[in-house]
Amino acid sequence: MNLDAFWQALEYSPIGDFVAVSGWAFPALESAHVIGVVLVVGSIAIMDLRLLGVASKVCSVSQLSRDTLPWTWAAFVVAAVTGGLLFFSNASGYAANSFFQWKMVLLILAGLNMAIFHFFTWKSVHNWDVDCEVPTAGKVAGALSLIFWILVVTCGRWIGFTLGGFF
Amino acid sequence: MYEFAEWLSTTPLLGLANSIWGWGFSEWMRANFWVIPTVQTIHILAIAAVFGSVFMINLRILELAGRTQTMTWTAQRYLPWVWWGLLVLLVSGALLIIAEPPRELVNPAFWIKMGLVLIATLVSLWFQATVRRNIAIWETSHPKRVLIRIAAVAVIVLWGAIIVMGRWIAYAPVY
Repeated sequence: MNLDAFWQALEYSPIGDFVAVSGWAFPALESAHVIGVVLVVGSIAIMDLRLLGVASKVCSVSQLSRDTLPWTWAAFVVAAVTGGLLFFSNASGYAANSFFQWKMVLLILAGLNMAIFHFFTWKSVHNWDVDCEVPTAGKVAGALSLIFWILVVTCGRWIGFTLGGFF
Repeated sequence: MYEFAEWLSTTPLLGLANSIWGWGFSEWMRANFWVIPTVQTIHILAIAAVFGSVFMINLRILELAGRTQTMTWTAQRYLPWVWWGLLVLLVSGALLIIAEPPRELVNPAFWIKMGLVLIATLVSLWFQATVRRNIAIWETSHPKRVLIRIAAVAVIVLWGAIIVMGRWIAYAPVY
């Protein structure tokens, strides 16, 4: 089965068909997707701004991470599930859309950035947790994270304008 | 919704929308394909700042996050982002109305959204005032604790409804 046939199979599956045909499913999923996305970006930005030394400076980095990260992941699950269902409704259209492709690449980059930060930079967090300058690697991770997520939102909005239909 | 949309089209708003449509600036925004998606992207990023901040404040009230920080610190940390974010939302939202006036001005979802935004703004102003003058309300031992928790959940739901109505502007009936 080639890739095009796979996208079409998703599209003509009962789920894909339902999201595409039902009058309310697509806008409802889109609304939930926006709520998920803004909470992911909002909560990640709180951490990024702390790493960059812009906000929450008196709060310990690890404490702020404990306060935000569970909500980031919860919101990410909402965004990914609703995004997946939206994708089903027009899988071959999304797969061929360059803004969609860029959005997926940027999501992978954001994930890699987070993984590198978590597995390397975070190991020494006890040294720079409170009242301390965040190491350069941490600041770079914060700046890259902000850039990647702003671009993810940008590409996401452009998909709606380049795919046809409602926007 | 349909009756509301029909009624909106009988108000002077329709004439206003049509006259804004003819502005040079309005025409310029529509003629340059990148303008509307860019302003919408800024609008969504500002929502992320406002909703993220409102969410953290209310999680603190519900004691689900940020318990190691005081209520005063939490308010000082997040409220400026709510107010500056709202300003960006107002400006970018106004630009989107100028670009496509009938899409919003005679749209029932838009006016429901504006009503909810007004309520949410008043709630934030009240919250800011009580944090400054009556900090005791936010203490864990306060007798009205249950009421305050319900209100915190309601505020999160309120902002969620604002986002839903915002997205519904693209789908609501317009005459």
